[in-house]
Amino acid sequence: MSTPAAVAPSAPWLRDPLALRRTATLVALLVLMWPLLVLCEFRPWELLEPRSLRATGRFLSQFLTPRLDAEFLVMVAGDTWRTVAMASAGLALAWVIAIPMALLSTARLSVSALTGRMAAWPAGLRFLVRTVLVILRSVPELVWALMLVRVIGLGPGAGVLAIALTYGGMLGKVYAEILESADGTPTQALLRNGASRLQAFFFGTLPGCADELVSYTVYRWECAIRTSVVLGFVGAGGLGQQLDNANKMLAGNEVITLLLVFMALVAAADRVSAWLRPSRRGEEEGGQRRPAPRLGVWLLLAALLAMFAASFATLPLHWGEWLSLQAFAQMGGFLAEFFPPQLAPDFLWRIGQAALETLAMSALGSGLAAVAGLAIALVASRPTGMLRLSARLLLNALRSVPELVWASMLLISAGLGPMPGTLALALHTTGVLGRLMAEALENAPPQTALALRWAGAARWQVFLYATLPQAAPQLLSYSLYRWENNIRAATVLGVVGAGGLGQMLTVHLGLFQMRETGTVVLAMLALVMVVDACSHAARRHLNR
Amino acid sequence: MSLLALESLRLDAGERRLIQPLSLHINAGEQIALIGPSGAGKTSLLHALALAKAPSAGQIRLNGQDAWALSHHARHRLRRELMLAPQLPPLPPRQRVATAVLAGQLPGASPARSLRMLFSPSAAQARIAHDALATLELGDRLWSRVDQLSGGERQRVALARLLVSSAALWLVDEPLSALDPQRAQRSLAVLQQAARTSGRTLVCSLHQVDLARRLFPRILALREGRLFYDGPPEGLDDTTIAALYAGDDAHANTPPPPAAPTPSAQATPHIICR
Repeated sequence: MSTPAAVAPSAPWLRDPLALRRTATLVALLVLMWPLLVLCEFRPWELLEPRSLRATGRFLSQFLTPRLDAEFLVMVAGDTWRTVAMASAGLALAWVIAIPMALLSTARLSVSALTGRMAAWPAGLRFLVRTVLVILRSVPELVWALMLVRVIGLGPGAGVLAIALTYGGMLGKVYAEILESADGTPTQALLRNGASRLQAFFFGTLPGCADELVSYTVYRWECAIRTSVVLGFVGAGGLGQQLDNANKMLAGNEVITLLLVFMALVAAADRVSAWLRPSRRGEEEGGQRRPAPRLGVWLLLAALLAMFAASFATLPLHWGEWLSLQAFAQMGGFLAEFFPPQLAPDFLWRIGQAALETLAMSALGSGLAAVAGLAIALVASRPTGMLRLSARLLLNALRSVPELVWASMLLISAGLGPMPGTLALALHTTGVLGRLMAEALENAPPQTALALRWAGAARWQVFLYATLPQAAPQLLSYSLYRWENNIRAATVLGVVGAGGLGQMLTVHLGLFQMRETGTVVLAMLALVMVVDACSHAARRHLNR
Repeated sequence: MSLLALESLRLDAGERRLIQPLSLHINAGEQIALIGPSGAGKTSLLHALALAKAPSAGQIRLNGQDAWALSHHARHRLRRELMLAPQLPPLPPRQRVATAVLAGQLPGASPARSLRMLFSPSAAQARIAHDALATLELGDRLWSRVDQLSGGERQRVALARLLVSSAALWLVDEPLSALDPQRAQRSLAVLQQAARTSGRTLVCSLHQVDLARRLFPRILALREGRLFYDGPPEGLDDTTIAALYAGDDAHANTPPPPAAPTPSAQATPHIICR
């Protein structure tokens, strides 16, 4: 009896068991902030220096008078179509890669696996196909485009192929996952009865997961439109190229017109995709605004087919040239130049520094966005009113402009370097996170908050003591997830001069130093994979 | 002057009438039990008293101020005078018990103090929470997380939050629903004792008619949104109670038998040394 009484603290209020850990975490975060700020050359006050203020002011003042003459608008309309066509044609080609690869890589359609373990060589083939898919989607589309521009020249062709390669990898992987997560018994029954693999796929697997496949495809099409704008920055044509030109000429009146058109395009794609996507939420809310699943699928197919046909018809794609033996030989020669990668110690040291800079940009950008996003989400999750509406509008505007476009504009006022990159990441991510966080805050059970509210607590106290503790795991998990995305974005931001690995890539590619370029691409792949692994582990820890 | 005065207060939810026009005076320091069958409007009345629901008609005066004639801001300030403990204790599952209890001190607290309590309560703050918890036999749970507690323990944490609050009027909705009978009696005794010594007013809705009659000097009985009885327990004989609960099968004359009686060895109230 004496031991437990003696061990138990007589005055438990004297020592908070978590105090030390919490203080240590806080101090560690603050200490970590320092190198981040240094690496990102984060000196926002530079934006307020008279010289950059004047440049910004001149640029922004032109925003008040958007260029709207007929000649310009006709050109913009053409470029808008080119952007959509590039995305659609890229996605169609991605299917050519993704569908056979997904069918090959899914274990669901394996005949040998029916009777126990999969045989050795099909297993090997599946592994190989999966590896190819991983490589295809781990290289950012912008890097593909940069290299393709070197091989097949400027123009939408490079953009289409870049989208096809990256999205082929993404779609292939996710299609295979969807096929495998569906109920496997119908497929297996068909295979056991002697059906061929394709028969088993069409009659056993496909009916069960068609909705999910359609939903993901439409979502990716929406993403491809955003991507194809970004690809314009490396010479693939369309809205992106116009935006890049206007930025470089400091023609603010053209930039604002292009930006508005772009935001409208993204919003339209968002609406179309939300309408077509068979979502569970829509059904819960009554599902009146959405067509029946069958009709939706047919509408989607018809519309996409028409658009794909139009895309291929209008884009200047020179298949004959690209598929000639000469072109393949040229591409082979181009790829061979990457090997062996440059591994000289002092070059690796520079790569390490650039990788650290990229890492810092992504981390600081995500951190800033998490704070800003939460602040705007607080306003956006108010029940009603003008404030809520304007916060939502702001989030949508921030979100619909890709990081690279933000960066290219920030470069005007902040100059070259990692700071505009960090700010660009933060701006776009604030839009994305703000929307997700507003949803999370709205979904938190309201009773806890009401109980404190009714006792006379202030709004911010209610938020800290009732809403935040319930929503925090979700908020952190979203932020980590965005960080995974941002490390990919940060690697390519350098292409417009925002520092890090991307800047090294453009420099070496521009100087035709292919072995160095090869090392930079490998470093990008490694960095992305390391961050993915860290964030994945952290998110799993959070859910406990 | 009475602390709280209701003048023909009416409460509606859409078409449904929750509380029929009702007038009522509550003096400072009173202890009142609110009884009635399920759906009689006990919770609605408590919400009206807590200024949580705006009346459809009539007035509610707290400290002589017509609460719903005040500005939004002034009314919210007035809410610091009262604290409502809802029936299902609304506590964030990942919060620590100490923080959940100290949240009772939030109304009127400075930003620095609020943040300190949230991050890591100071020894003095933790002691306040601990003492409140200890009177409810939960002193050892000070640093636990709320999701480690049982339903009954959470209900007592919600009562502890009430004990640390500085509100002059405590409104408690079914504080004993998740507690076994012995513990329910002891918790109620703690609550009444604390209210008496610090001069608070206590309004407590109860399902246990016998407890209400035995322990409270004034009983309010509601039936179908109407004030059925208002007065000392002596006026409530068994026939009146039967009429009050007529048609409510779940609640016969006698309260339901205890589900799990606790050994009497644990029944002695825990005395904390200061």
